[in-house]
Amino acid sequence: MEEKNKSIGKAITRIDGLLKVTGKATYATDYPAKNMAYAVLFKSTIASGQITAIDSAAAEKSPGVLKVITHKNTPKLNIKGGLRGGALLQGSEIHFYGQHIGIVVAETFEQATHAARLVQVSYEEKAGKIDFDELAKDAVKPKGQELADQIRGDAKKALGEAAVKVEETYETPIEHHHPMEPHSTIAVWEGENVILYNGSQIINGAQSSAAATLNLKPENVRIVSPYIGGGFGSKGGQWANLVLTAVAAKVTGRPVKLALTRQQMFNSVGLRQRNIQKVSLGATKEGKLISISHETTTHSAIDSEYIEPCGDCTKIMYDAPNSLISYRVVPMNVILPTYTRGPGKSTGSFALESAMDELAHKLGIDPIELRIKNEPEKDPSNGKPWSSRKTVQCLQEGAKAFGWEKRNAIPGQTKAGNYLIGYGVACGTYPARQRDSSAIIKLKRSGSQVTATIELAASDLGTGTNTILAQVAADGLDLPIGNITVNIGDSDLPPAAGSVGSVGAASFANAVNDACIKITNELIAKSDKQFFVRPTARQMMISEQTLDFQTRADAKAPSNTDQYSTHSFNANFAEVKVNIATGMVKVTRFLAATGAGKILNPKTARSQIIGGNIWGIGMALSEESIIDPRYGNFATRSFGDYHVPSNLDVGKLDAMFINEEDFIPNKLGIKGIGEVGIVGVAAAIANAVFNATGKRIRSLPITPDKLL
Amino acid sequence: MNDFNYTRVYSMDEALANVSLGKGHRVIAGGTNLIDLMKYFITTADELVDINPISEHQTIEELPDGRLRLGAFATNADTAYHPLVESRYPLLNRAILAGASAQIRNMATNGGNLLQRTRCYYFYDINTPCNKREPGTGCSAINGYNRTMAIMGTSEHCIAVFPSDMCVALAALDAVVNIVGPEGTRQLPFADFHRLPGNTPHIDNNLMDNELISSIDLPEKGFSSSYSYLKLRDRNSYAFALVSVATALDLEHGLIKEARIALGGLAHKPWRVQEAEDFLKGKQASKTNFEAAADLILQGAKSFEFNAFKIELAKRAIVRNCMMALDPDTQQPGAQPSL
Repeated sequence: MEEKNKSIGKAITRIDGLLKVTGKATYATDYPAKNMAYAVLFKSTIASGQITAIDSAAAEKSPGVLKVITHKNTPKLNIKGGLRGGALLQGSEIHFYGQHIGIVVAETFEQATHAARLVQVSYEEKAGKIDFDELAKDAVKPKGQELADQIRGDAKKALGEAAVKVEETYETPIEHHHPMEPHSTIAVWEGENVILYNGSQIINGAQSSAAATLNLKPENVRIVSPYIGGGFGSKGGQWANLVLTAVAAKVTGRPVKLALTRQQMFNSVGLRQRNIQKVSLGATKEGKLISISHETTTHSAIDSEYIEPCGDCTKIMYDAPNSLISYRVVPMNVILPTYTRGPGKSTGSFALESAMDELAHKLGIDPIELRIKNEPEKDPSNGKPWSSRKTVQCLQEGAKAFGWEKRNAIPGQTKAGNYLIGYGVACGTYPARQRDSSAIIKLKRSGSQVTATIELAASDLGTGTNTILAQVAADGLDLPIGNITVNIGDSDLPPAAGSVGSVGAASFANAVNDACIKITNELIAKSDKQFFVRPTARQMMISEQTLDFQTRADAKAPSNTDQYSTHSFNANFAEVKVNIATGMVKVTRFLAATGAGKILNPKTARSQIIGGNIWGIGMALSEESIIDPRYGNFATRSFGDYHVPSNLDVGKLDAMFINEEDFIPNKLGIKGIGEVGIVGVAAAIANAVFNATGKRIRSLPITPDKLL
Repeated sequence: MNDFNYTRVYSMDEALANVSLGKGHRVIAGGTNLIDLMKYFITTADELVDINPISEHQTIEELPDGRLRLGAFATNADTAYHPLVESRYPLLNRAILAGASAQIRNMATNGGNLLQRTRCYYFYDINTPCNKREPGTGCSAINGYNRTMAIMGTSEHCIAVFPSDMCVALAALDAVVNIVGPEGTRQLPFADFHRLPGNTPHIDNNLMDNELISSIDLPEKGFSSSYSYLKLRDRNSYAFALVSVATALDLEHGLIKEARIALGGLAHKPWRVQEAEDFLKGKQASKTNFEAAADLILQGAKSFEFNAFKIELAKRAIVRNCMMALDPDTQQPGAQPSL
């Protein structure tokens, strides 16, 4: 028997890296189609009301225009088909500023863009619900049951009796996903079937929602999405642009390409909503928590509810006998908020972990010690045992690697020239889950060379899914990684989970691993030989002189998971320098110590974590989208005004993984790292800013004006 | 973008003949601002007049009397890295490199830098009122989200800021703008080139529609021993200034012989206050004196709902930047983080 695990766990460079850097990887708009036409969306310029008239005569006469599609001539679509955010051109009602109200299809993109501008739209405008600052006081209980008040003990009473308390309100702004690849689709009809080339985090989800919305059977819709230029949740649930491209192609009888512009991205594909979070912590004077409350007020769309669960971290992070988690929501005339990297956890951890830092400061206890003191033995929300939880190791090993002992506990004391230096720490967590997925393995032999093709409808956001699946297959089949071809991102392939909620690696890898075991078993069973040592698939292909062999595995999520609480955990360490005179902040060093089970590929995993850290830096220091309540539109509508971090904003980043073996959430020990990298980041930075300056900023982003 | 004709011109005479045909004729040089404005339907052109083929005004040359002439069609990058700019006018080098990105600076020209439009959110949103874009429609910024807007020299019609970094240094260096028009050439001191919004916020500067900038002259005195450019912004690179300061000092025996302090991000034009510079003359280069000068510069400031912080931020930036101008360690030409 050959050496095991020779590929899994190795820092292997992406197998599709060369394709990507040479421009050969085919993203949605890269597919050629004969006789392509180009579609451009046009959008409402009011936030609330009704379209009274659309005059598209001039646009229709404009050179190259094939069709102007509005609510007046769009075929009937199923608005409950599972797409997010409405805007399917099914009526004249306007629910938010920037709602799609029509499409121009033309011979060229430029002609369509020009003609879209010629469409005259008249509205009857209604007073919209736009001003969150005004509306927040009227927030109501959410409709969703999972967001009902969660009460253990009597948090209020316990808080009243606590020796030391923190009761503070933390605010986070609207943020946008803004993947590098804007949402784009090419639709090609062949009879009653349509192929949709479209970046999709959940291939089968995109297929079923597109089919249902188009009143088709899923088998009539094929989604092709082998490469995705990022999504961060915005390509999880699909939006109207996917199906409207199919409609445009059907109506014109041509293949149609529709790519959102960067400006259209601001109000087409969801957002992370504004949150006002009140956190109340009560502790004994020794620092033992006796009460935790986390009360979130937020907004949703006027006609549909999505609320990110800001209290999720708070439910499980610390041991306290009394707790209250609640949500209140205001329906507003804005686009539907949606899953945004670390939904609820990244924003919620800013509030919780800032409050913990405030409590540590009040108690005069090191913030790491305070957290360890309140480390729960079991999941406090449901009493279940942890499948594994390495928070303490993350804190301790991270602190050692970061040089935490150099931190001066008294804020505002560490100066270097014109700068104040500060250290901050914050924890984070994200659930570890696995979903059902299937995979096919096809083996081929030529002489002594065995090659394998792996097929499943998985998706790769750019994170390295292709690579880790090749690693799993290489080990499972006893092949060098170069002999593995990975085919994913096509709904014609066996169904798989999505790259969402940190379930991708665990679910896809499990299916591939099961298929490797199954194909080896089948090769052995087919043989009339007896084996004392289990041979590998490669050995069987050669010894049995088999030319082709294939099998399919339908892997299920583990059944015993609900007896445990399964999560990844991290500890984030930030060093900042703050210019004393001007309040400008730079994160000079950042370390994320993460306990996330088996790390399949330390190289791509590190990229995942530091990518999350960088968005966390943006969240902490610069990203903020402002709605002008008079118009309902964003004032900040370009990358010039919506400030994602630049290289100069990011100092030295480091990711360390805590060794962790946990086969409860997943047979391969995978817990998922897609989201946890952003959770706790903003709080660590805000806590470092406090340590540097003595100023506690409870409203993100921490721009220079807040530190004057 | 509207359909337009595109003409390449090969001489200044040809270019002038084209622009004198009227407002529908827009000159394009680097295009780093104009293309965006056209894409967003803020500017329309019937005829795009490409002046890049003109061989004149592409270079940076020292004049016999010691002045340095920056060709209007030379790029920002070529200007910043020109040996004479680096050695004699390092303040200008610093300011240029604090702006935009390397790619944009490689395309953008010096004349274009002076002529770029504001980045006011509302100016860029054609669905909102804006007196600069559509005179008479009103100003959305005055009662809107005005965090980045002006606090000096505003009018009831416009509170937009002029976004250039390069021009802040040019203002401090007392540059002169050379202009050619149908009647020949004329010169405008830099302070008179850009305008305050007043009743005509749609007019950014005093260049006539039938004129072109040919070059910008820098006086021989370059303040190369005591200078500093500081840009404060919401992100350390590739963001417009909340406040920026160009300081140039001429020191003798610890006393200030001459001080120049120009500010960006605060007004519709680079902002200098003679009274403050006069105050510093003959005084010690001390923090206290710079603080007093900062107070003088900001004394007329008028803030709006979201930008009151700019007054304090500007004062601090002035003091910090003047102190940096005294510190030889900070005085190396080249890009420097605004931190």
